[in-house]
Amino acid sequence: MAVEILKEKYRGQVREVVLGAAKDKGGTRSHTVKIGGETTLPFLHFEGNIPNRPVVAMEVWDIVPEGWPESLKSNFEDVYDDPAAWAKKCVEEYGADLIAVRFMSADPDGQDASPDDCIPTLKKVLEAVGVPLIIYGCGKSEKDNLLIGPLGEAGAGENLLLGVAEQDNFKPVASAAMANGHTVIAQSPIDINIAKQLNVLISELSTPLLDRIVIDPTVAALGYGIEYSYSIMERARFGALQGDRMLAMPFIANIGGEVWSKREAFVPHEEEATWGEQPERSMMWEATTAMALLQAGADLLVMRHPRAVELTKQNIDELMKDNSY
Amino acid sequence: MIIIGERINGMFRDIAKAIREKDPAPVQEWARKQEEMGAGYLDINVGPAVSDRVDAMRWLVEVTQEASKLPLCLDSTDYDAIEAGLEVCKRPAMINSVPAIQEKMDRVFTLAGKYDAEVIGLAMSEEGIPKDSDSRIALAMELVANCDAYGVPVQNLYIDPLVLPCNVGQDHGPEVFETLRQVKLMADPPPKTTVGLSNISQGTKNRELINRTFAVMAMACGLDSAIADACDEELIAAVATARIILNMDIYCDGYVDVFKNQNK
Amino acid sequence: MGLTGLEIFKHLPKTNCKECGFPTCLAFAMALAGGKTSLDQCPDVSEEAKEALASAAAPPIRKVKMGAGEKEVEMGDETELFRHDKRFENPTVIAIKVKDNEDIDAKLNNINDLYFERVGQEFEVEAVALLNESGEASTFKSAAEKVAGGTDKNVVLISEDPAAMEGALEVLADRKPLVYAATKDNYEKMTELAQSKGCPLGVKGDNLNDLAELVNKVLEKGYRELVIDSGSRDTSQVLADLNQIRRQAIKKKFRPFGFPTIAFASKDDPQEELIQGGVYLSKYASMLVLETDKKEHLLPLVSWRFNLFTDPQKPVQVEAGLHKVGEPKENSPVYCTTNFSLTYFLVEGEVDASRIPAYILCVDTGGTSVLTAYADNRFTAEKIAEGIKATGLEEKVNHKNIVIPGLVAVLKGALEEESGWEVTVGPREAAGIVKFAKEKLS
Repeated sequence: MAVEILKEKYRGQVREVVLGAAKDKGGTRSHTVKIGGETTLPFLHFEGNIPNRPVVAMEVWDIVPEGWPESLKSNFEDVYDDPAAWAKKCVEEYGADLIAVRFMSADPDGQDASPDDCIPTLKKVLEAVGVPLIIYGCGKSEKDNLLIGPLGEAGAGENLLLGVAEQDNFKPVASAAMANGHTVIAQSPIDINIAKQLNVLISELSTPLLDRIVIDPTVAALGYGIEYSYSIMERARFGALQGDRMLAMPFIANIGGEVWSKREAFVPHEEEATWGEQPERSMMWEATTAMALLQAGADLLVMRHPRAVELTKQNIDELMKDNSY
Repeated sequence: MIIIGERINGMFRDIAKAIREKDPAPVQEWARKQEEMGAGYLDINVGPAVSDRVDAMRWLVEVTQEASKLPLCLDSTDYDAIEAGLEVCKRPAMINSVPAIQEKMDRVFTLAGKYDAEVIGLAMSEEGIPKDSDSRIALAMELVANCDAYGVPVQNLYIDPLVLPCNVGQDHGPEVFETLRQVKLMADPPPKTTVGLSNISQGTKNRELINRTFAVMAMACGLDSAIADACDEELIAAVATARIILNMDIYCDGYVDVFKNQNK
Repeated sequence: MGLTGLEIFKHLPKTNCKECGFPTCLAFAMALAGGKTSLDQCPDVSEEAKEALASAAAPPIRKVKMGAGEKEVEMGDETELFRHDKRFENPTVIAIKVKDNEDIDAKLNNINDLYFERVGQEFEVEAVALLNESGEASTFKSAAEKVAGGTDKNVVLISEDPAAMEGALEVLADRKPLVYAATKDNYEKMTELAQSKGCPLGVKGDNLNDLAELVNKVLEKGYRELVIDSGSRDTSQVLADLNQIRRQAIKKKFRPFGFPTIAFASKDDPQEELIQGGVYLSKYASMLVLETDKKEHLLPLVSWRFNLFTDPQKPVQVEAGLHKVGEPKENSPVYCTTNFSLTYFLVEGEVDASRIPAYILCVDTGGTSVLTAYADNRFTAEKIAEGIKATGLEEKVNHKNIVIPGLVAVLKGALEEESGWEVTVGPREAAGIVKFAKEKLS
């Protein structure tokens, strides 16, 4: 008996965003990475196009990270103090599609590095790897606002993905992106209305930037409110497919920082007898978080543990196989 | 609610003149302007000004398409003129309109199948416009059954329950709303709905207030589209707001601008 | 949504006899769709049409039970495609595979031990899936005996050999196991077995078309307690099939797919298997069969299941009490917020980002956010003061200063009076905590 396959015909499409720039566009990346462009919900190849596979970025810090559990740290022990070597290892050994550089040295309560101190690191990482880069500051917006302009200028033409523009603080990042040909991470606090409004605000500053925005809906880790992120992403993506152009940007899911600060990442088996061994459990916590968010529409995942990255990439390989009838 | 911009119509003097003189400028200006304001379709009506409606329709379609990418709504009771327009349409269009009269439905749904066109179906028969909703619904159901029988997807059919001016046909108002509600029970996916919005205020004062009040009330009953003045800013703002309240669009502070700029 | 006018019309005789009181069959169909008349008003309606119309009015996905007594679980009964529309009804049942020719007791011990405690919740896996790997009926039966004695969890019996199934059912029928699977070769016997023992029956096709045909054959035999499987085992195809089955059932009321689903993770590597299973759990599998029995694999999965199946209309609560961020000392700051999970996690994340270890006093507000709880008298000076006492905060820190959310600055005076603590008004939004901490606390 022939089942009549049900296919939704959506009016809208997720905007396709290019990350990185090769020689032809004024950059030095060996290749660019495209994300977005979907005309259906995640991995439903049978009814729409999914022209670009979701990609995985790995985090590189410009200082030796504090507070990472040994099971995570040990993967980078030999490159910890050298961001360029660290980035190279992530790309060559662990298969990272992009590198997310975090300029933690700029933390005013830490080393308080100046923009000039940070620029050489950016240049070294750009030289060390050919993949596109994501740039994050130290997470304290007053300082990051001072950082992002000079870093954007130092990486002019590379089409960096710059983080983060927020509703009440979007101009520094958006201006840096406009001035030097970069792309913007628009971050909203698990709030679909703000996610949309932020894109409106950025588009009022510059309409062409609309095709150079990646939405960071602020994803929560598994067990810490992930269901809110999941549903917001599903709603926004559904809205985009139904024609809402102001939500039709690809999603970045910043998983690593969320997962690796939680108890599940640290607590030894002795302390939580029902949780299993910490090294594998923490890694699986990150991989499972990634799996869930891929089903909600994540296009770009930022992660930390090499094995979690590998599992996620395998999962993406499987899910990108054609399933049309 | 999708707005079908009403302005390219030979009833308007500037358009009538443009058709007679084959001057594309006024037509294209209105096409661009309505698109700019957020119209989803452009209604194309040659009006009473010309003798050769077939030729006029073909010309209007061609010059409009040069200025706008919006789909067109070919508005005529002369199906030869509509077919001539469909032949030159670059993207699937809408046929405006067909009543629940068998030989007309035969012709129009055949055309719709051939040109992958949408159809506006009027809830009226040879006997005219019924007053009560039950009769309107029965006629709408005939349109749905014929649409389905001709293999045209039912969601490509727009039922127009037919609106009368509120100063002469006040008692029709509630019947129209009830019809709009019932249309959604006719099939799955259901047919869509449309109205000629400015009919409700014909001959009244406060026309724009009546139009937009009717529009948001009808939206709450399931109105999907209306042939209306796309340049009425207050109407657009009211529609954008109703879409938010009906959970059809995701809210953000700038939602009115987002709605207006949806074609950009 | 009930039946539409068009669907009803297609089942009517189209005679326009007017005996129903309506001028045409079309008008009658619409009246029926609108609930204004009943089908028995039509003198010529066929039995077939009556049945089709009645079954279309049934729930889109049948509720099917497995197990007996306290262990009984329900599957199916779903009405939604997205959890943001309305909550998903029955959490995916997780079954761990046991082969009839392996060390069953050891495996059962591991499975029995799969019990998890996290944030005040208790989780477990619900079932053991006994696989007739040996192909021998006698081995399967003796394995069933071991299962009967070795665990009180639910059981899925996996064999396509009716003789083996019959043997295992002699041992386990009282537990109402899932009989898996009826295929096109064995469905008559398998259906009789399941039906005679009152057990749910797994129906396995080779693809969606094949499955629909097979389900109809089983339905013709009069059995409806079914759990269905398209037979696909590739991740992407299973995802597509589970989507189709769910959509066809809910949007089209396609009867052969109106049943709970079972999915099998198939990867050899247990970590990959878990992630693959997670995909199926996310997208609609009513039951998931896995091989891994390690806690470190399953804790993330059962936690995800818990998150996914929460009611999005009901706020999720965090355990009230005193929570630590980092390793707070006796001079560390104390924040206070509500136990609405989203509020709490936002505050916790920002406190963490401030890199000043701290205590958070999490007040039981029934899972409501700060302003809602305040308006509802659940976040009051009294309740916060009570919390300070009940958690022994005064012994844990050497100061008496607590930070309250800026949105309830108005509580400052009353709380100082009530508790004897000094109250600092914090920022209005969690996002302001890092700045606040830097300026006021460091």
